[in-house]
Formats: sequence, C-alpha cells, structure tokens
Amino acid sequence: MSWESWVISTISRTLAYGTPLLLATLGEIYAERSGVLNLGVEGMMIVGALTGFAVASQTGNPWFGVLAAGVVSGLFSLIHAFASVTLRANQVVSGLALTMLGLGLSGVIGRSYEGRPLMHTLDKISIPLLEKIPVLGPAIFQDQNLLVYIGIGLAILLWFVLFKTRIGISIRAVGEDPATADSLGINVARVRYLCVMVGGVLAGIAGAYLSVAYRPSWTDGMTAGMGWIVIALTIFAFWNPISGMFGAYFFAGLFVLSFRLQAWLSPELLKAMPYILAIVVLIVVSRGTLQKRMGAPSALTLPYTRGED
Amino acid sequence: MNKRFALFAALALVVVLAGAAFAAYEPGTKMTVGFVYVGPIGDYGYSYAHNEGRLAVEALPWADTFYVESVTEGQEGPVIEDLIATHGCDVVITTSFGFMDGTLDAALNHTDVIFGHASGYKRAPNMMTFMADFYQVYYLNGIIAGALTETNKVGYVGAFPIPEVKRHLNAYAMGVKAANPDAEVHVKWIYSWFDPGAAAEATEALIAEGCDAFAFTEDSPTVVQKAAENGMISFGHYGSQMYTFAPDYVVSGQAVNWGSILVDFLQKVYEGEYTAENLANIDYWWLMAQGAVYPEAAPGDPINPLYVDALKAYMIDDPAFGEISAYDLFMIRMAQFGDPGVTFDPFQGPISDRNGNVVVPAGMWLSADSLITMEWAFENVVGAWPGEPE
Repeated sequence: MSWESWVISTISRTLAYGTPLLLATLGEIYAERSGVLNLGVEGMMIVGALTGFAVASQTGNPWFGVLAAGVVSGLFSLIHAFASVTLRANQVVSGLALTMLGLGLSGVIGRSYEGRPLMHTLDKISIPLLEKIPVLGPAIFQDQNLLVYIGIGLAILLWFVLFKTRIGISIRAVGEDPATADSLGINVARVRYLCVMVGGVLAGIAGAYLSVAYRPSWTDGMTAGMGWIVIALTIFAFWNPISGMFGAYFFAGLFVLSFRLQAWLSPELLKAMPYILAIVVLIVVSRGTLQKRMGAPSALTLPYTRGED
Repeated sequence: MNKRFALFAALALVVVLAGAAFAAYEPGTKMTVGFVYVGPIGDYGYSYAHNEGRLAVEALPWADTFYVESVTEGQEGPVIEDLIATHGCDVVITTSFGFMDGTLDAALNHTDVIFGHASGYKRAPNMMTFMADFYQVYYLNGIIAGALTETNKVGYVGAFPIPEVKRHLNAYAMGVKAANPDAEVHVKWIYSWFDPGAAAEATEALIAEGCDAFAFTEDSPTVVQKAAENGMISFGHYGSQMYTFAPDYVVSGQAVNWGSILVDFLQKVYEGEYTAENLANIDYWWLMAQGAVYPEAAPGDPINPLYVDALKAYMIDDPAFGEISAYDLFMIRMAQFGDPGVTFDPFQGPISDRNGNVVVPAGMWLSADSLITMEWAFENVVGAWPGEPE
C-alpha cells in the first residue's frame, strides 16, 4: 500500500473517530459557557447510543434513530439541569450521578438489543467534485458519514452564535456573571436549562453516531470512556467551538495514529499519548491567570441565587 | 426489653442460617453453585460464553445456580461472600484472571466451600483452576486465513501483549504459514479486553497496511463488522454469536464449551471424588480433544459453507502430506487435535522465533508451563511485540 493511500486513510479515519467527540464537545462547551459543568456526558452519550440503535432497528430508518437519540438524551440531561440550576445542588455530584444512571439504565434496558446486527445503517456519502481533489478529496470528501459534515457545520454555526449574536452574549454573560446578567433582564435559569439541553441533545447524537454509523450495534458500555475525553477536550478547546473542532480531530488523529505507528514507537507510549497531552493541557490551563485570559467561564460550577453574591 | 430480645433472636437466626450455609457439601445432595462474571452476560464474548457454561450446570438435576455479572476485578470479595452467605453456595466459580487473589482469600476463609477459578494459577485444597485454551483453534483459523488472503497479509487485533494472547497469535501465525509460507501476520495491540473504538481503528490501521483477513481478541463484534464493511473475511471470537453480524464474511472462529469442564468437575464433586480437601493439584487445561474448544462459524459449521469451495481449490505443498488442499489439511488437523491420543501440536520443534532464536528444539513439544509463559514471536509475525525476548 502506497504512502498516499496510508495518509488518506489516516485522515479519513481521524474524521470518522473525531466526529462523536466533536459533537459531544460542542454541547459541553455550551453547557459550561452558561456556567454548568456537566460530568454526565458519558451517561448522555450511552443513552443516545441505545436510543439511536433501538429506534433505528425498530423503524428501519437510521435518521429516526439519530433524532430520537437527540430528543431522549436532551430530556435525560434535564435531570442535571433540574438538580444544578433549580435545586442548586453540587454540579460535580449531579453530573456523575447522570453518568452512572445512564450507564446502568442503558445496560438493563438494552439487554434485548445485545448481539443484534442493524440492517439499515447511515449511508456513507461522497461529495461530488470535491472528492476529485488529489489526496484531500478521498481523505475528506469520500465515503464519510453525513454526520461528519454536520459536525463541522455545527462547530462553525455554534461559534457564530456564541460570539457574534445576542444569544451568545446572553449565554456568556450568564456563565461569567449571572448576577449582572440577571440585572440586565436575562433569565439565568432559562439560559442554563437550554444550554444543558443543547449539551444533552448533542451528546445523544454523538452516541447515536456510534451505534448506527460508526459501529452499527448495541453493546453495554460501548462508549467506553469517550464522554470523559469530551470533558477534557472542552477545556482543551478553551470553551471555543472552533478550537473544539480542532481539538477533537487532534485527539482523534493521535488515537488513530496510536495503532498505525506501533511498529516504530512503543505501543504503551502511543496509547498514553492523548491522555498525557490532556493532563499537560489541564495543568497549563488550570493556572488561574491563564484561565481568565483563555476564557474559562467565571461562574462555572457556581449555582446562582438572586440576591446572594 | 422486647426490642432487645427481638434483635437478639434475629442475630441468633442469622448465625444459625449462616452456619447452615457454611456446612461442607454432602456428596449426592442438592448442590448450589455461584458464578462471578467480569462482564455483562450479554457481551457476546467472554462472559456470554461462561454463562452458556452455567446453563449447562443448571440443566443438571441436582444443581442450582446463581450468578453475579459485571463485577469489577478487585471487588469480587464481597460478591463471593454474598453468594455464600445469602444463597448458601456450596461451590463458587470465578471466571476472570483478576479474580484470582480475591478467590484465594475467600477459599482460605471458607475452607468448607469449594472454589473454581478460570485462567489463573493459584490453587488451594478447596480451590481448583480451569482453562479452555484456544491455541489449536487459532492454528486451524490460521490455515484458512493463509489460504484465503490475496494480499499475503493477515491481520490480528490483540487485547494485551500477555502470554495467553501471544500463544494464540503464534499458533495463528503457524497455521497461516502452514497454508501460505509467503504470508505475514500483522498485529496491533489495543490494551483492552473491551474497547470497540480501539478495535475499529486497529482494524482500519491493519487494512491500511494491506491486510485482508482478521482474527482478534476483543469482546465485541467490532473487528468482524469493520472487516465485512470492507468486504474482508474474519474469524469470530468466543463462539458463533459474532457470525450474525457478518454471515457472508465470518469464515470460522473460536468457540468454547465451558460447560464441558464445569459439568465434569461438579459431577466429581457430586460423587464425592473431589472435596474441599483435595483440589490443590486439580488444574483443568482442556483443549479440543476434551471437547472444550472447537472451530465454528455458525452453529454446526466449523467452516462457513460459502468458503468451502475456495479452500478445496487452494493447494498446499505440505511437508507431511505432500500436495493437499487447504480444506483437507484443516480437516486432518482438526481430527488430530480432536484425538485424545494427541498426534499433532503446532508447538512441536524445531521452531525459531523471529529474531532467529531456537525456542523449541527439534523433536521437542512445548510443555503446558512453556505455553502459559510464552513471550516470543513466530517468524512471520510483523509489528510491535512488547516484552519480546532479545
């Protein structure tokens, strides 16, 4: 196999593996931008994966599965929104609870779907003309899932909304200084609820991507820790959707290469590389001054009550 | 006063019941067997296969079974206690390597209870070990892979670079070589028993290197699915349930019958031959001859019928049999492995590793001890091999 086709397949696989990371990271960026840390990503993803698979196999239409996964995980995330916004509970605890609940529930409910192949999976598409570009064409525009391009489109759209529109200003204001936002007439609770739900919907779609497109089947625990990588990626991306896209693909690229470079570099080191990088970034970012400059929402993890500040 | 008495009575009752539960098993009476699984029984891999074994025990007229699934390694202690105290288990079977120390601790605490542990090496007077090993089956799968590969590159997705997986890989590589001396076996490690994402990308990496036939050690059908997506063949792991994911592309696979070992062992306990005092040297190492493992595509088919013609048409120049088809070689080797007299083993000398060291001298067969500590890589293996001897 030639060098060229090796590069093509590496890039193409990076996009395929990076897409669920990207989708869920975009959602978590919105939740955290509004001041709500949601450690329930893993749980929301696995609920989405099961919903997506179940609906796709019942209806025979994988897109129904994707949509249903978004809806169900969006509703599922309301548990966290209710606990952390309305009840002002500890966000770390309630997020972890969401993950455990999601993993447990999906394992029990999904039992009858174990070991069943999915007859109708998401079709792979190629983009006419663009796929003809040498190397880049087959690497990026050939035989990919539509969700790959939806992910890229969403990253740009969500960046635009967050930084160029009034809605974005409201979200960031709520995450930075909810008291001031409140005094300006922004409904803090409503913004936070909606942002947590955006996180749930996107995590659900990311999960469905895994179970109806990436690897069409349902297996208990199939997200295998992806949700935790999403949490790290959110910080890695400095809460910016465009950086989130590059972060997700960067991580996915390292993951894909960790198998392709095994003959030359120690497999143990390659396996640890993405996690080592994540830790390094977390250490760098957690230095307070940098955190301010890089855009960590000041009110992240802090519940808001009118009149207490 | 009344309250205190009630409490005391309850406590006394618990002690009496617990005492009854801890009494040694009386041969010929009803037996209660508890199982501890590392994964969900619906994983369609390792724990699924073990649960099939439990069902064979449940079918015995004198046996009742209980099981606990998805037990984290290291947390088996309380689970075992519960099986003994609450369910009164006479025999406890634990099935993951990581349960070894916890099982031994429990065995030393409950000298009246009989224990069995799969895949480990620590035993006690009341604790035996058992294993159904796949290496012969991998050798048979390798014959098929070597015959059917068109690129002369065969892939293997390995869980961890430990002796068990290395033994299976080497046996597979030897089967490949027997059918096709020009073929290489490319290996990728994913460092997990269960990680669909890693299994998928490892398969894609092997495809990028030109591989077109896949065997693996991972407890999901991911490799089978990825191979089929690319129109390539694969070998199911832990039984025919993976066949349903790609019936046109799963050519054969490794199937296990844990029930054969469990029923044999428990029968002997039932008859009083094995007790909580004489298990220190009982180690079941069962292979094809005992019916514990066998090649299987779909139930009843060692080879997927779609590929039989191609295997019959592929001719091999074999040192022992001369001109012979891959199909016939597969069938002869399968019969030899199944023969209790043992007339053939892949690990019979002379064998050199890929660094040129003689690992099995001419005329020698590897002992079970050498098999379970294997670190070297066979000559046609390509790729990283952590822990490889110089």
